[in-house]
Amino acid sequence: MNISNQNGYLLLSSSDEWYNDLSLEELEKVVQQNKAWVDGLVAQGKVKGGLALGRQGAIVSGNNKRIISDGPFAESKEVIGGTLVLDVATLEEAIAIAKGCPSLRYNTHIEVRPISDDCPLDARLRQLQQPAHA
Amino acid sequence: MSTQSNNGYLIIFRGTDWYKGLSPEQMQQVADNWMAWFNRLKDEGKCAGGNPLEREGKIVSGKNKVVSDGPFAESKETIGGYFLLTVSTMDEAVAIAQQCPGLPYGIRVEVRPIAPQCPIKDELVSKEQLAHA
Repeated sequence: MNISNQNGYLLLSSSDEWYNDLSLEELEKVVQQNKAWVDGLVAQGKVKGGLALGRQGAIVSGNNKRIISDGPFAESKEVIGGTLVLDVATLEEAIAIAKGCPSLRYNTHIEVRPISDDCPLDARLRQLQQPAHA
Repeated sequence: MSTQSNNGYLIIFRGTDWYKGLSPEQMQQVADNWMAWFNRLKDEGKCAGGNPLEREGKIVSGKNKVVSDGPFAESKETIGGYFLLTVSTMDEAVAIAQQCPGLPYGIRVEVRPIAPQCPIKDELVSKEQLAHA
């Protein structure tokens, strides 16, 4: 697990709308904790960017039909609520940062993904082309 | 679906298994089309950036901060990459998503408005308003 990546790591936080069930006091507390967590990471130079996403949205899919459906985003547990781009070089460090997220205690889960600068199709092409040159 | 967002839209490409069945020629074509699409959107000032993600990673979840492997390779749900769009309406973001060269091969594109601030904070504001009402 000592994969190193110069492009940084993307944290994708997903959850249901757990915050709707909290009291004003609880919610104020977790908002402050979240802010302190992000501010701390920014101060240490570990964060390159981040986005909060609204729960609305759409999904475009389909083989030629290109069906558009409104995402069932409101009640699902799997909805991405926000992202953070981390300027760290190892998966361990990215995981350690993810573990510090205060919303985890409300059953949020965080995907930790290395950012690539290589098109996956090109990578697959190289893989396919290799045996021909062997 | 004429929702507006002043902060832009994130389009998320889901599916990391769709290109496995393609021939090298088809794959080259899709890769070229994808790059041309990305560059055109950037030239038009409609895309601020984007990245593929490696087909690996971990998931940290819940109170106990359990770290698990995802199914990141060859999955229909896995996020393969994203573009950050600077357009201001959902309609335009969806129209761009519909141009994705991976769609005919089974890729799905999720279109999400970027929130002006943390949605939790919005909730807090409305609770505070209720408290003061």
